Amino acid sequence: MAHIKVQRRSMRPEEFVELRYGWLKRHILEDTREITTFEIRDARQIAEETYEFYTDSYRALKKGDLYFTPDGTAFIRASARIPQEWSGREVWFSLKTAAEMVIKVNGVYVGGIDPNRDRVLLSPYIDSRDLHFEIVGYNRSKPDDERNPDSLSVRGCRQIFEGGYLALVNDAILSLVYDLDLLLDAALSGVFDEDFSAMVIRELDSALNLIDFDAISTEDVAKASAYIESNIYRNKNYNGSGSVALIGHSHLDLAYYWRKIHTVQKNLRTVLIQLRLMDRYPDFHYAHTQPYTYETLEKFYPEVFAELCEKIKAGQFEPAGVMYVEPDCNIPSAESLVRQCLYGQMYYREKFGLTVDNCWLPDVFGNSWILPQILKGCGVSYFVSNKMSTWNDTNRFPHNNFIWRGIDGTEVYACVPPTHFISWNAPSQIKENWDAYQDKDTGGSTMQMFGYGDGGSGCTEEMIELMHRFEKLSILPKTEHMTGKEFLHRNFDNNQNLSVWDGELYLEMHRGTFTTKSLLKRMNRKLEFKFRDAEMLSIARLAAGEEYPADALRTLYKKFLVNQFHDILPGSHIAPVWRDTMDELHQVELQLNHLIGTGERWINTLNFSRREPVFIEDAKGVFCRHGKRGSFFRCSDDVLAPVTIQAGDNADWFVFEHNTVTTPQYVLRFGEDGGFLSLWDRALSREWVNGDFNTLHIYRDCPGNYDAWDILSDYEAVESTVHVVKPLSYVKADGSCAEFSVTLGVGKSTWARQIRLFRYSCGIEVENLVDWQEDHKLAKAVFDVNVLSRELICDTSAGFIRRETHRNTTWQQARFEVCHHKWCDMAESGGGVALINEGKYGVGAKNSRVSLSLLRSTERPDPEADKGTHDFCYLIMPHSGSFLEAQINRRALEYNVPLLAADSFRLPVKLPDALILQAVKLSEDGKKIIFRLSEQDGKRGSVPLEQRMIRMNLLEEPLEEIDVLSYHPFEIITLAVNR
Amino acid sequence: MELSEYIQNTIRPKIQGDGGEICYLGEDDKTVTVVFRGECSKCRILDRCVHWIESEILRETGKTVTLRYTRRKPYFWDKG
Repeated sequence: MAHIKVQRRSMRPEEFVELRYGWLKRHILEDTREITTFEIRDARQIAEETYEFYTDSYRALKKGDLYFTPDGTAFIRASARIPQEWSGREVWFSLKTAAEMVIKVNGVYVGGIDPNRDRVLLSPYIDSRDLHFEIVGYNRSKPDDERNPDSLSVRGCRQIFEGGYLALVNDAILSLVYDLDLLLDAALSGVFDEDFSAMVIRELDSALNLIDFDAISTEDVAKASAYIESNIYRNKNYNGSGSVALIGHSHLDLAYYWRKIHTVQKNLRTVLIQLRLMDRYPDFHYAHTQPYTYETLEKFYPEVFAELCEKIKAGQFEPAGVMYVEPDCNIPSAESLVRQCLYGQMYYREKFGLTVDNCWLPDVFGNSWILPQILKGCGVSYFVSNKMSTWNDTNRFPHNNFIWRGIDGTEVYACVPPTHFISWNAPSQIKENWDAYQDKDTGGSTMQMFGYGDGGSGCTEEMIELMHRFEKLSILPKTEHMTGKEFLHRNFDNNQNLSVWDGELYLEMHRGTFTTKSLLKRMNRKLEFKFRDAEMLSIARLAAGEEYPADALRTLYKKFLVNQFHDILPGSHIAPVWRDTMDELHQVELQLNHLIGTGERWINTLNFSRREPVFIEDAKGVFCRHGKRGSFFRCSDDVLAPVTIQAGDNADWFVFEHNTVTTPQYVLRFGEDGGFLSLWDRALSREWVNGDFNTLHIYRDCPGNYDAWDILSDYEAVESTVHVVKPLSYVKADGSCAEFSVTLGVGKSTWARQIRLFRYSCGIEVENLVDWQEDHKLAKAVFDVNVLSRELICDTSAGFIRRETHRNTTWQQARFEVCHHKWCDMAESGGGVALINEGKYGVGAKNSRVSLSLLRSTERPDPEADKGTHDFCYLIMPHSGSFLEAQINRRALEYNVPLLAADSFRLPVKLPDALILQAVKLSEDGKKIIFRLSEQDGKRGSVPLEQRMIRMNLLEEPLEEIDVLSYHPFEIITLAVNR
Repeated sequence: MELSEYIQNTIRPKIQGDGGEICYLGEDDKTVTVVFRGECSKCRILDRCVHWIESEILRETGKTVTLRYTRRKPYFWDKG
């Protein structure tokens, strides 16, 4: 028997209300005059404020014409005259478009138009009836608001021009439309009480019955509005609970589906729109992050920047977020994060006289445990980040307003708002926020950001108008609009009831971003240490009487920091962003190389003695590593000084037969694929292999729409066959190193591995030379370590973190792939195996199996991501004792910081070797030499200093003078001496 | 200029700028065959872009061609 669903075929009351709501919207513009003089010139942006034009002249642009081109910018102009009869009325410019436009009239920036708004008010900004429009429009196929179906339907590079108009707005109809926006969302969202929804629809129906829609009159509209006031707003029978703070904000990705060069205009449009809203609504506040965006505004649009400064003084425009950009907070090192805060705070202080006390990172993909003390050291006590509450795929993050305790015990106030950072002030969103808020009893109010974002855009008139009506809607939680700073201080200061989260803020999603765009990750690591060398060498030269290149270094650092943005460094961006980034990082590298120069001596810039072999480039060298010929040497114990290097004297230190190599340390039996069938430790008389070991595995990698971002927990379910193209064989050796080679094939890719064993080191290096042509594959090197271990120790760049490797609870299950820095280690009491890398950040561990993520091949947003050649190394380092006893962290630093070629090197101060020297630089005021030290072993202690030094905070402000340096576990310490 | 080069070096970077991808497959008489990927693969108004590419080829190379195209959606958008 067929099932026949009973349907109501007549119109439901809510449908008829919605219909009439649509009809009303058609009458918002009570009078219009089409502007018929539009002309357009198509262009493509090729640099900041630099364009290639398709034609030398403008062409006419008529309603119905196609306009915009792929990756196009359009310059549009027109002239118009305001009708005499409109004298005394507010005149608007109206234009519907999927593009993003900045509009200048008679030389004045009047506002912005984009998919989220289609008109700008002209009257306050013009003093003539004759108008000359200059419009710059940038079209892109990803509208800000993907939830808006209207925006989705017009995605595309070629748009139809729908005409531009001078217009008068009927304020009464507009006000009624806002009432309907508010009440329809409340009634139809399904998040409020059913009886309330029924009441709203019933009364709206009655209100709209007062309007003759065949001839809409202002009188009828006023009657309907009055009816709503009396019968809905004054109905207090339905009462909500809760307290929600509304914070205006727009998320602006510096690069994503657009390039940084486009963000200059996106930022201008976003800021301009907020400034114009502030003009119209004096109670409106808006928080804007990223000093980098302020810099571009100041550079390219000084007149808008001047307005912004006035709004900051007035307290409406709020500089928020200490960091120079909103960086990824998994991959950058501690020093990079310090510089994000330092340069960001310096800008705010210099330009606005403000010290921003919050870190505002709504969209970043998880936050390293090292952050709290970095923030605190930079004058920041409040941290805001949304992702964990709204994107976790396994566990509900248990707090929204809480205290975050960092790796060293430093605490900051943390706000992880319960809902998304992009919202449009719909009543249902306010209610959902309060309902989802988990710290109702301890955290005070909950934070709701409102404003369109990703590509900027921000708040709209509608959002503010709705906000002004919230207090009339008794069923809503109590709302209050305020600045971000006000929210944070009001709810956190002296709050003794807050819960504490002690650990990293791991995002249970986007785990693929530790690996996607592998070359970028490698470049990031390399440059972090190259900056270290360049600054340190510059200080040594300063001490020798040379000039310190402060401006050059700061400029390069800032360029580098911008490229740590959270859709750049994680790899979640389109191909042109990739090209821009790699070009810029190569430029940074070249200029750092220029600053570093070269010399005849080899310098150890680490503040401890090296134990591992160093690779020295030499055209006559025996080996080829990273495409450069050279040889491996031992070096002398000298610290922060020139070293002497020494080669091994003969090549008879190992034996290779039947795929088994015997060295002073090991008896290693290779599989023909380069995997280790056995690794017998001769000193410890133990086996390190218990299954796969140094084995290449290629897994299907199909996480769905968030392709570049995610890895699924079941990625091991489908595996590709790796076949041996050329079996393992001995290649060459000298007195220090023996090299073996194997070539593997998988799909369309070839994967050569050069495996190097050393005479004087326990490390075994694997260099991978890959021609990677796969689609949707994840490559991992797998190690089944013969230890009983339930934890993986991971480097954070400023201390270590222990991650459990069992799957007892959903919290461990969710952490199947985590971010680590230079090394990870799996050990039992007697010893273990460390994996040291030079730019691989993703690692998985289950029981005693470790898998180092090597390459991915994702398709969205960049269909060609990671395809091509790769050359990367990792070092397998078995050790006795714990990773601390084996000093794995120091070995990993050696692996990432090569010897530096220079003629001389001497720092002006001798530093304690108990701590890691993270950076040496000239203070930003040029008066002091800064030494950044980091305790990375989890130890407490004190050491006498060889001279009196000044203890500083991370903003390079003096705290106290000391003769003895006391430190606690994982502390980052800044010392200084006067020049 | 060869059309393959023109599409690769001039058109492709612009298409990529919007998250799309175009790949030249071949040409026969006055028909050029390409495949669109990325955002282009699901664009509802791709025809407009195709006509624009044809007009750009004419404007910059003097060649009148018809673009024959297919779309290759990534698996997660390929819902039949």
